Amino acid sequence: MMKKKEETANRPDNTAFTQQRLPAWQPMLSAGIVIPGFVLIGMAFIGIGVALFITSRNIQVLERDYTGDESNSPCNTCTHSSPDCNCVLNFTLSKLFEGPVFFYYGLSNYYQNYRRYGVSRDDSQLSGDVAYFKNPDSNCAPYRVDSKSVPIVPCGSIANSMFNDTFRLYHIVNGKEMEVPFDGKGIAWWTDYNVKFRNPSLVNGTLKAAFDGTVKPINWPKPAYELDPTDSSNNGFLNQDFLVWMRAAALPDFRKLYRRITQGDYAAGLPAGNYSLKITYNYPVLSFGGRKKIVLSNVSWMGGKNQFLGIAYLVIGSLCIVMSMVMLIVYAKFKFPDDGS
Amino acid sequence: MTQSEEALSRNPGGTLGANLMRRWMLLKGAVQRKGQTQGGTSFSSDFSTMAKQDPMDSQNMDLSWEVRANDRQFHKRLQRRSVLCFRKGKYADNVVRSYKYSPLTFLPLSLYEQFQRTANVFFLLMVILQCVPAISTLQWYTSMIPLLMVLSVRGLKDLADDLARRRSDTQINRRPCEVLNSQGFSSAQWQDICVGDVLRLHADQIVPADLLLLCSSEPHSLCYVETADIDGETNLKYRQALAITHQELSTDPIEPALLAFNGSDSKILQNCGRLVVKRTQVEIVLNRGVIGIVVFLLLSALLLAVGSGVFESQVSPHSEVLSALRGDHSPAYRAFLTFWGYVILLSPAMPMSLYITFEVIHVFLSLLISWDLDLYEEESETPAQARSTVLNEELGQVGYLLSDKTGTLTQNRLLFRQCCIAGFLYGAMPDTVEKPEFPQPLDLSWNPYSCGGLQFYDQRLVDRLRGQQCPETREFFTALALCHTVMAERREGVLVYQAASPDEGALVGAARDLGCVFLSRTRDSLTLSEQGNTRQYQLLALLDFTSQRRRMSVLVREPEGGLKLYCKGADIVILERLQQNCIHRESTERALELFAQGCLRTLCVAVRSVKEELWEEWSQVLSQVATATRYREDMLEQLYNNMESELTLLGVTAIEDRLQVGVPETINTLRQAGVKVWVLTGDKKETAVNIGYSCSLLDPDTTLLQAEELRQLLQSPDPEISLSKGNESGYWGKDRKREGNRMALVITGPELVEMEEKPDWGKRFVALSKHCQSVLCCRVTPGQKAAVVQLVRKHTSAITMAIGDGANDVNMIKTAHIGVGLSGMEGSQAVQNADYSLAQFRFVGKLLLVHGRWAYRRICIFLRYFLYKTSTFALVHIWFGFYNGFSAQAMYENWFITLYTVMYTILPILSVAVFDQDISAKASMHWPELYQVGQRQELFNPWQLSAAILYSTYTSLVLFFIPLGVFHYSALDYQTFAVTVATAAVFTVTAEVTLQTGFWTKYNAIAVFLSLAMYFVSTVILHSPRLHAAAPTDYYFPGASLNAFANPLLWLITLLTAFTAVLPSLTARALALVLNPMDTHRVHSSDPASSRGTLEMQARFRRGDLHRRSSYAMSQGRGFGRLITSGVGLRSTAPQQGGEQTAGKTSPEPGHKLEQEDTSALRTSR
Repeated sequence: MMKKKEETANRPDNTAFTQQRLPAWQPMLSAGIVIPGFVLIGMAFIGIGVALFITSRNIQVLERDYTGDESNSPCNTCTHSSPDCNCVLNFTLSKLFEGPVFFYYGLSNYYQNYRRYGVSRDDSQLSGDVAYFKNPDSNCAPYRVDSKSVPIVPCGSIANSMFNDTFRLYHIVNGKEMEVPFDGKGIAWWTDYNVKFRNPSLVNGTLKAAFDGTVKPINWPKPAYELDPTDSSNNGFLNQDFLVWMRAAALPDFRKLYRRITQGDYAAGLPAGNYSLKITYNYPVLSFGGRKKIVLSNVSWMGGKNQFLGIAYLVIGSLCIVMSMVMLIVYAKFKFPDDGS
Repeated sequence: MTQSEEALSRNPGGTLGANLMRRWMLLKGAVQRKGQTQGGTSFSSDFSTMAKQDPMDSQNMDLSWEVRANDRQFHKRLQRRSVLCFRKGKYADNVVRSYKYSPLTFLPLSLYEQFQRTANVFFLLMVILQCVPAISTLQWYTSMIPLLMVLSVRGLKDLADDLARRRSDTQINRRPCEVLNSQGFSSAQWQDICVGDVLRLHADQIVPADLLLLCSSEPHSLCYVETADIDGETNLKYRQALAITHQELSTDPIEPALLAFNGSDSKILQNCGRLVVKRTQVEIVLNRGVIGIVVFLLLSALLLAVGSGVFESQVSPHSEVLSALRGDHSPAYRAFLTFWGYVILLSPAMPMSLYITFEVIHVFLSLLISWDLDLYEEESETPAQARSTVLNEELGQVGYLLSDKTGTLTQNRLLFRQCCIAGFLYGAMPDTVEKPEFPQPLDLSWNPYSCGGLQFYDQRLVDRLRGQQCPETREFFTALALCHTVMAERREGVLVYQAASPDEGALVGAARDLGCVFLSRTRDSLTLSEQGNTRQYQLLALLDFTSQRRRMSVLVREPEGGLKLYCKGADIVILERLQQNCIHRESTERALELFAQGCLRTLCVAVRSVKEELWEEWSQVLSQVATATRYREDMLEQLYNNMESELTLLGVTAIEDRLQVGVPETINTLRQAGVKVWVLTGDKKETAVNIGYSCSLLDPDTTLLQAEELRQLLQSPDPEISLSKGNESGYWGKDRKREGNRMALVITGPELVEMEEKPDWGKRFVALSKHCQSVLCCRVTPGQKAAVVQLVRKHTSAITMAIGDGANDVNMIKTAHIGVGLSGMEGSQAVQNADYSLAQFRFVGKLLLVHGRWAYRRICIFLRYFLYKTSTFALVHIWFGFYNGFSAQAMYENWFITLYTVMYTILPILSVAVFDQDISAKASMHWPELYQVGQRQELFNPWQLSAAILYSTYTSLVLFFIPLGVFHYSALDYQTFAVTVATAAVFTVTAEVTLQTGFWTKYNAIAVFLSLAMYFVSTVILHSPRLHAAAPTDYYFPGASLNAFANPLLWLITLLTAFTAVLPSLTARALALVLNPMDTHRVHSSDPASSRGTLEMQARFRRGDLHRRSSYAMSQGRGFGRLITSGVGLRSTAPQQGGEQTAGKTSPEPGHKLEQEDTSALRTSR
């Protein structure tokens, strides 16, 4: 079209791209768009905030600290006694605790995200590679081999420090204790159970033989292949509690899923009444000022109870509204004198 | 005939650092005969005393220097050889070596150069740190791969450049020349020439070395050299062989030249200044900012390390788990390791990709310059070229434009435009001739000598001339054809003039085209063809031009026997020497004013009939004076003055020193943009001032501060105060009071020398210049041009840009922040050394106002944003440190850290940096004032940088603490946390960049979507179980992302975090909009034409009170008329100013000494 001359080799291309004439949208904002925009965003945020807040409020949570450092605490006796100390925590539900109920244990001041704690594991070993049973990764130190240089499986600090308190919940009906059935299946991540963690191939049909030539982590009372005496498939690296523990927490205060209450009479929830929680108290936290809790909670679409998010949305939303008000005032102040003149 | 001096280039020692430079001279003249050996001649230098070889005559015996010409064996021994850094020998060879690397040195040299960049050293350090297992918080490949990429990309680029240089070197080195040996002249290549060789040169040859003229085939052993490659001037300079060699060799004339210096010793190379690596101001701020950030990071790491020490000593001993991990090491040692761990973790805030991306953007913006059709000249088919790709943003900050005049502002083409003869005005104003309705050019076919090209449009003049009715007209042109020092030569039947002054060339040429043809001259006669009749005038005396006299005259005897004195000169000089009752005086003065309005350069032409007795008396006195030894000059002056009186005015010539197209408009625009335009020229003051007016650098009512006035101002301790005082007291006149800015400084080379001696003056001069609209530096050498640039650089913080077209501008081009070379008809020297090459001066307007402004904006936005986004994501580690026992736990997965800057967030900002336009190119040109944003460094300065870092600190707080609020005491794990924060970070910085984008092309939109898509796709892929199975330690987040993305919580957190993070930015923008509702619309809505139009009108109107400008542009100073009139042309007063325009005149280098000693040699040999 514009080609009047023979295009020469040196002549730059006459395209919108090379000539910087690309069609473009230049947002021409004005106060008339910005102020209502802020109001709209603010409203939206407040809307979300309210929804989140209400959702969160409807979630029932029961939290009990059983660290036992106070003298009146039921587990006080266990703080300085031998392993497998039992203590009982009683609580009362005044109304139905809607199901499905999730049972968590919580730890505070526990640095599972400490860097060298986090890397103190051997993922190859945990994926069932027997080569790493004999020679665990150096990251596992000082829980790589025991004093006799026998490799530890599973090696590393995380595995060694596995949480080993156990809980049993009893519903007291007419003075009789009825055990609330816990569901320990599927509490770990699907990828952990199916991909990341693999048991070594059975040797002579037993898992135990596969662990030959290794020792259990120093702090463990039982080797990995005997973690769950009741369910043979819940042993080795594929033990659900082990999987949950191995998934390191983000922050020093965290809770981890212990069991779900989904079965039997309690599938719809925990009815009002008295309950007693029998705790096998093993895990020491007092030395470093840690705390142990149990948490009963039901969940919504947004997970567990979380007031923070709803409030944060409300705050930011209101801030937007306030901002738009300020802008409106400023705008009026700057604009109307001009109009008058 | 031929001969030459100078040239060639290469970089000292042929090693590091310099650009390819070449200087050539085109020789004019023709070599006619072959000669024999023995070109013994006098040249000396401070460093060579050679065995005397061939005493020529007794006069030479007492000289202290000796020559060995044409003795290869002897000189070969002295040739400089270098082995590594050891050098032997005195002389360089003549091989152009502009390449830097040899196969052996490439790797070490290129690595050495690359690691001179602090950034690279920093990154190397990071890589090394990451390889130490005890502190490695990230995988080694997170930095190693980018570093290797940077190094290899830069290395390859250097290699490619070097290969190109080698190719062009070879081409130049292989040019042929003729060298003397025992068998006569044989052809050789320039690269094989060594010092002492005797060469024979032919007409129009290029000479890449310093030569000494021994002899030429022209009378007087004159030769003409064109030094376009050296100083950009196309008029010929004459060189004369030394007396002794001329006499010796004239009986059996040969035309050799003795090679005096070559290679890196040559004058121009010694004078060309060293190559300085240019850094832009933005880059300097950036580097400082980077250092600041690094210090900040180190400090943070230190504090975190202290925290770690406290944690290790207070908390972890109580925890069996943690104390076991600590092992036997003390808390202090742990803290030490943690420090380095955090250094590694925080180092992504200062990513390598910043530098790569920065370079990519620079290259692209440079390409845009070369792609621009508006900067493409159709005629010569030359596009603009960005030879340096690192200076783009500096184009948007130029405060001082220092321009060469000849060939840059002007076309170096003088046109005879108008004349006023006997009160009649002929010809049209230059403004109007471009219009198509104007009559056709004159039909000059009747004149066989006409060579066309006369841009004179008035048939009346031709009619009068041919019609014989107007004797004044004829005499006027006879005067023009007689009164000059032009040499005529027939080349292939065509008459060719060689003029030392372009003005003279134009005038004699005009006379020729109009039928008054100067045919030839001998020592004492001039042959003219007047309307076909050949007439011979006897040349009795030539009263030469000097810059004091500002006129020249010839005294001739007409064929009829009458004596006439023809005189031409500046109007003031001529008008005061006229007869009392000159009839055309008034009309002529009116014409002069008219010409001045048209910015034409005028010369008055006058005649005097001399009586025989007067001539005899005068010539007697003249011969007495000529032999006088004392006060000769004064007496001559007096004598000339006597003769040049009682003149009759013939008319006025008006010559247009043609400006390049669009120069006044461009300069006007630049001035409005706040760019100070200085003109540096080797020409004399009058010419420069004249051009200053015509190219609207000076307004008609601008007052010039010069000479004494200037000196007084500079002597006062504070020139600005005394200037304003002067204003108040009326000392400066009333005009200046009204128009504070209407002043310009005019300074000459000698004054500059004086200024250099007084340290305070430079500072005062620059301070003073800020109050003036322009500065003109006249009669400056190339070295001084550079010194002026240096002066500006030293005393202001502004960006300087030098523009020129000749080799004499090379020094200045290299000294300035930005050098622009005009690739006009002159040599390529300037372009070779420039950062940008343009075909026309007028392109500077768009280069600065559009490309420069956009580039500055884009790069500033890019840098601010880039540092913001990288710091934002890295600083999160600090806050996380407080929640993980200061253990240097990474907040993100390794792969995210590796890819965040280079993949997930790069495209949107890249497209902003490439496409962003705040206002269109047209509006940028219409509103030059907007350019000042760059000059004031408003978009990227330490404050802006601090603000960006502060903002990123805020953002990192938001990025960490909002997710923290949700994750606190939740059952969500670390990996979900990492993915959440990472997603929030990506969304936040993407949101921020969409706010920054004001110009949404389809590429911007695609980039935003693509980079987000890339984040999700590659995150999911990198977290895929399959990769984990393949390499568990490298892909340790299997399933984490899918799990997190399936959680609505992540999206709620991301939305809240991203919005909260950009809220300040959003609010600031909204508030700015509300507070300044008109701001954004101002440029778009207002009509650019209205205000500009009136301005133009005023300027036009004001031209009425123009001062007249009359001058004689002798670019060489004194003419060489004396040479013509003297018998042999070999006198002790051989033109000393001859070298004025060449590069080496004032340089202290050996070249200069050669010249001085040339003269002394002449003296002694007389």
